[in-house]
Parts: sequence; C-alpha cells; structure tokens
Amino acid sequence: MPTVELCSVRKKFGEIQALAGASLEIREGEIHALLGENGAGKTTLMRVLYGLVRPDSGELMVDGSALTLRGPRDALARGIALVPQHFMGIPALSVAENLILGEESGVWLSSSKVVARAREILTRHRLDVDASRPAQGLGVSQQQRLEVIRALERGARLLILDEPTAVLAPSEVQELFKLLRELRAHGCGVVFISHKLEEITELCDRVTVLRAGATVGTRDVAGATADELASWMLGDDASVEAPSEGPASAGELALSLERVHAAGLSDVSLELRGGEILGVAGIDGNGQSELEEVLAGTRALESGELCVLRQPLAVLSGNRHHTGLVLDFSVEENLLLADAVDGGSPPVFRAGWISAAERRRNAERAIARFAIRAAPDSAARALSGGNQQKLSIARALAMAPGVLAAFNPCRGLDQGAIAFVRGELLRTARSGGAVLLVSTALDEILQLSDRILVLFRGRLVALPAAAGSSEIGAAMLGVT
Amino acid sequence: MTRARLWLDPLLASLGALLLTAVVLGALGHHPGRALLALWQGAFGDQIALEATLLRAVPLLLIGLGTALSFRAGIWNIGGEGQLAVGALLATAFATRFLPDVSALVAVPVLLLAGALAGGLLGGLAAELRNRRSVSEVLSTLMLNFIGLHAVAWAVRGPLQEAARTYPQSDALADHARLALIPGLGRVHYGLLLALLLAPLVWALLFRSAAGLRLRAVGSNAAAARFAGISTERETRRVMWLAGALAGLAGAIEIVGVTGRLFQNLSPGYGFTAIAVALLARLHPLAVVASALFFAALASGGGAMQRVAGVPSVAVQMIEAFVILISAGFAVVARR
Repeated sequence: MPTVELCSVRKKFGEIQALAGASLEIREGEIHALLGENGAGKTTLMRVLYGLVRPDSGELMVDGSALTLRGPRDALARGIALVPQHFMGIPALSVAENLILGEESGVWLSSSKVVARAREILTRHRLDVDASRPAQGLGVSQQQRLEVIRALERGARLLILDEPTAVLAPSEVQELFKLLRELRAHGCGVVFISHKLEEITELCDRVTVLRAGATVGTRDVAGATADELASWMLGDDASVEAPSEGPASAGELALSLERVHAAGLSDVSLELRGGEILGVAGIDGNGQSELEEVLAGTRALESGELCVLRQPLAVLSGNRHHTGLVLDFSVEENLLLADAVDGGSPPVFRAGWISAAERRRNAERAIARFAIRAAPDSAARALSGGNQQKLSIARALAMAPGVLAAFNPCRGLDQGAIAFVRGELLRTARSGGAVLLVSTALDEILQLSDRILVLFRGRLVALPAAAGSSEIGAAMLGVT
Repeated sequence: MTRARLWLDPLLASLGALLLTAVVLGALGHHPGRALLALWQGAFGDQIALEATLLRAVPLLLIGLGTALSFRAGIWNIGGEGQLAVGALLATAFATRFLPDVSALVAVPVLLLAGALAGGLLGGLAAELRNRRSVSEVLSTLMLNFIGLHAVAWAVRGPLQEAARTYPQSDALADHARLALIPGLGRVHYGLLLALLLAPLVWALLFRSAAGLRLRAVGSNAAAARFAGISTERETRRVMWLAGALAGLAGAIEIVGVTGRLFQNLSPGYGFTAIAVALLARLHPLAVVASALFFAALASGGGAMQRVAGVPSVAVQMIEAFVILISAGFAVVARR
C-alpha cells in the first residue's frame, strides 16, 4: 500500500471550524487508531481522506506526492476505501449482486456468471455465506465483512473503518480483529476509529489523537495504558475551574428517576433538585438518546418510576432537526408547538384559536430576548444551527419549566452561541430551576455542573465527590 | 415558498396543461382553438353550463377540503369516494325510512349530519386500523372505497329499493327533505353556499387554531410533534373523522340537493378527482375553491367539446393528467 499522509488539514462548515490543522500519517501494514472526543473531527478527517469532503487548506500526500481528490472515485483509484459502519449495499439484492454492484460490465447480467464470480470471491476471502441469498438475510457482522470484501475487490489497500465495533457483539469484534490483522499481514493499512480504549490497545499499532479539530500527536500503542490514552484524549485542560457559583443550597426535589429500566437503559436512578445543574457525562450511544426519549415521554418505561415534582418538564432535544423543531414551520409556529398540545393558553390562544397578532408579538419577544437572528415568519429550516438552538431554548424556557433537561445543547454551535446557551442554563438554575445537562462534551459538563454522573452502557455511574477529569474520563470509557 | 408562488404555480400548471393538450389535439388533427373554446362554452357558456359546473364543484370542493386536511397531517386518505357513498347511503336511509314529517329546516340539517356521520365513521375506521393495527391508510381507505360503493349497490337492490321494485334505486326523497335552490341560479342549491363557507373555516382551523398547528406538526415532522407531547394517534383519528365527514357531507348534499334519490354510480369519481383538486391547490383550503371550480369546469366542458368539436371527451382526462404532472414538477423544483 502507499504511504498516505494528511498535513494540517483545515475545514470550516458554516461557522464551525470542524478541522483546524489535523495531520495523520498511515504507513504500510499498520493498524492506525484515530482517537478523539465526539466532535473532535475524526469523521470529517476521514471523509477528507475518502474524497467526500474537500478541505479548505492542507495537503493529502500519497507516496510523497501531493494529490487532490475530486471524489470517492479518485480515492478508490488510489486504493483508499471507507468501510461504512452500516451496510450500504442494497438489502433486497443478493450477496452476489451486491458484490458486483457498480462494476458490472456490458448490458446484460448473466446471473449464473455473477453468482459464480461472487462464490469465487467469497471463497477467496473465506466468508461462508450463500451468494444467491439476499443481503438483508446476513447478520450485521457478515454485512460489514461483505463491505470490507467489496472494498478489497475494488483494489483498496487502505481501509478506513469508522467505529466498526459499535454495532457488533463482543464475539463478532474478535472476528473483525482477526480479519484486520490478516489484512495487516498482507500489507494493507487500516485506520481504526473507536472510543473503546481497550480495543485500541489490543489491536492497533499506533494512535493519533485529535482534539477540537487539531492533531495532538501520534504515538506507538505498545506500552501505553488505557488510562494514559484517556487523559491524552481528554486533555489536561479538561480539568477546568469548578462552577463559578459553587453548588447552590440544594433546593427541593424536582425530578426523580427510580430504578428506571427501558430499552437501552438499565437501573437508572437520579435525583435532581431545584437550583442545581446535574451533569451527565458520557460518550454518545451509551443511552443518551434513550434517556431523552424517556424524559420526553416517547419511550415507554419497562419498570421503575419517573417523577416530575416540579412541572413542567422541558426537554431540549439533542437532535434539533429530528425531534427539536418542525423545520417547515415558521419561527412563530415553532414557538407555539408545545403550548398547542392542550389547546394553548392566552394571550396567543383563545379557546383553541390563534390570534395572529399575538402570535407575532410572542415571536418578537422571543427573538429579542434570545437574540435570534430571524424574522417571525422565517422558516426554521432557513436558520443557522445556532439560531435554531436559540429557538429551541426559547420554546423550552417559554414554558417556565420547573425542570429543564438539555441534551448536548451546544453541539455544533460557534463560540458566541455556546456562551449564550451555557449562560441560559446557569441562569435557569440560579433562578431556582432544576437543570439536567446531558452532554458528550466533558469540558462543558465540568464547567457547568454542580454534580456529575456518567452514563455508560445504559447505566448511570456515580462518582466520588472529588472526582477529577481523569476519573470521569475513565468512567466514560468504562476503564476501572 | 413565497406567497406569490403559492398562487402562481397552480395557475401556470393549469394553463400549461391546457396548452399541452392543445398541442396534442393539434397533432391529432383536431382544431385546438375550437376544442378549447367548446370546452369553455360547455363549462361557462350559458346558464345551463354554469349551473352544471357549479353543481359539480360542490362535492369536489368539500372532499378537496377534507383531502387537503388529511394530507397536511401526513395522512394519505384516498377514501373520499367511499366516504361520499356511505354519506349518501345513510342520508337516503334516514330520508326514505325514518324521517317524520317535519319542516325542511329540521329535516335537511339532520340528513346532512347523517351523511357526515357515516363518512366520518368510515374515515375513523381507517384511522383506527392505522393506530391499532399499523394498517397503511393508503390501502385501507382505498379498499374501504369498494366497501362503500358496494354497500350502495346492495342497498338500492335491497332495503332501500324503491317501493315499485323496478329499478335499482331508492324512492325519491320527499319535498321537505330537499335542499332549497338558490334563487336565480336554476338548479344550484344552497349546498354551494355551505361549501363556500366551509373553505375559510377549514383555512382558519388549519392555520389559526391549536388543533391545526398540531395537525400540521404531525404532518411535517411527526417525531418533533410527539416529542412536544402531541399524540399522533389522536391527531390521525381526528383528521380522518373530519375528512370523512366532509366527504360524507358531500354525498348527502348530492342526494338532498341534486339527485333526490340514491342509485349506483351516483358520483362520477368525485372522491378521486378531489385528490387532484387538493394537490393542484397545494393543500391550501382557499385555493381549493378555485381548483374545484377548474376541475368541475373540465368535467362539464368535456361533453360539449365532444359534441361541438368532435374531440373525444377523454381529452379532459389528458388535461387533468397534465395538471398533476406539472404540479408535481413544480413541487420537485421547489424542493431544490
């Protein structure tokens, strides 16, 4: 395989600096781990390497010569392939058809020839599946394997795997590792993205750490412990100052979850009091979205009790586009959504009917108070991410919530918007509200929270009172 | 989408469809100018033509409003034809079997409500199937159409057949069960006025009420609606009852306002045409008025086009198809 090098790559999406000087070098026959927090830029960097994202500046060097990729086709021509986490083939087509998809020649396909060729490929790669079966019948692990084979058959010599183990069972992970080690033995290069430090220490040769879009450094994995990698990934500066005000005198109980079990959550208990910010740290996919749905009432509890003692409970969704806003609605209408559930309250609603003038006044007030850069009748879709988030917050706070549950409230925002959102959370708590802050950004949790819990594999992990960032980081990664 | 485009696109789609049809007719050796003139004359040329057009517009408008409502909620209700049929059926049953000798001021509203109730029940049935059994409303409403139409076919040969037992039709309705006619408009009844009043009411419901906001939220982003606390099941049930009731009302109005008795093929496919009506109007209740009038004019002008210009009246279906294709094209462009 060629030696591939990415040099100080920068990429800005709108107002967000996704990559700010990221560098990475992959050598022949190595499994190279890419490590970093959510939003550190790992996926963006890999999309640059695969030609899906064109960087603003920075260079891609293949075997020492600079190269511009116009798309994945160019990357594939150089032997670089991205293996998707989820199966990207066509589920209804047979395994054989999926294998030759995109490289069929001529007008007519001879199904017997296709199957015969696919059998030959599968045998060569020792994947024991029936080539004539539809691909949707395969397990996740086999589908992933099929994607790897597809990439190899297209001449890939450098495979990028973005969190491949997130969808696999432990035994399947070992299968995957075996496959990757074989590829390494054949001289292929592999970029391996994972949050699971034990996987990196077990499998990888070298590791590059990204933080806030920039490369922190590259080192050999041999000799490094999971603890060392954790502190390297989270940075020393994560141990920032404690919350400015110090824990307010604990108010009355506002929200309690008692031994809550639901799909994706097990035995979750917490108590949230008025006037405090309770931070829930954790890496994405450990139960955050499930907790969000439980609080919003869209996911049923299997057992346990959820008690909102200070109504109402406002949930600030971590997914603005999907569950937070109706993008086709105007700013005015999005602001009314939660209120309209039970027919609405005056002055905007009267007996279920909306006064257009009051609706506008309501929107103008929110726009002024939260400095939203939009007109009342702008479609939410047309707003920038930061303004969409301000709109979501405006709606949540308009309910005068007793409990505010905010999920990744600052994700994807620029510095100004981040300061604003954090300010609103602090203000809510200081004025006696109870705030549950669930975030994958540890520095945010550390800065804002009075108390911190960690969500790991659907369970809440309590921490000792004096836990520092390294203890929290270890709990987030399941290192004990 | 700007406000101007909301009105301009449907207008351009209608004009474009007429133009394309003219081209096709020309290519087939007809005189396109004469054909379109005959179409216009047949739709608006004289009092008789105008009355026919207005009468056809009433059910299209009512069912079109219901269709717009349900489509706004993301419910693909295509059961207008069946809902109309059961509305007509129940109204006739009341009128010919159970109606005491009361004044028309009491009798007619009761019959209209009966029609709305029957249509609402059929729509509500599709909603329950969707909510409880996850049956796609596209399939259930489509198939319920046949149930509604066959129920009429059975009734006019069975329990509701005329006393003379000659034809498969019901007895004629008594005079006090008939809708009054609008003075000066010949055969046109007060159902037209009712339908015209309902259009702004449906508009206000959709855009100026909490219920409408919820309904549109479910249609635009069901996940966000649920997250905000809206029950999508409840909204589905409500909108299907409402859409069904509007179609059932259209059926009852056909009976008490136009035909005076029930028979098979009461509707020349109003329930299906109404889908095109709603789509051309971009699901906007006020635009549905103009759209319903346009499709009604096509239907009543088609016959004249055949008689006067020798153009097969199926050319009208070509116009309808062009309208839908062009509208769909606009929608695709608007999304880019």
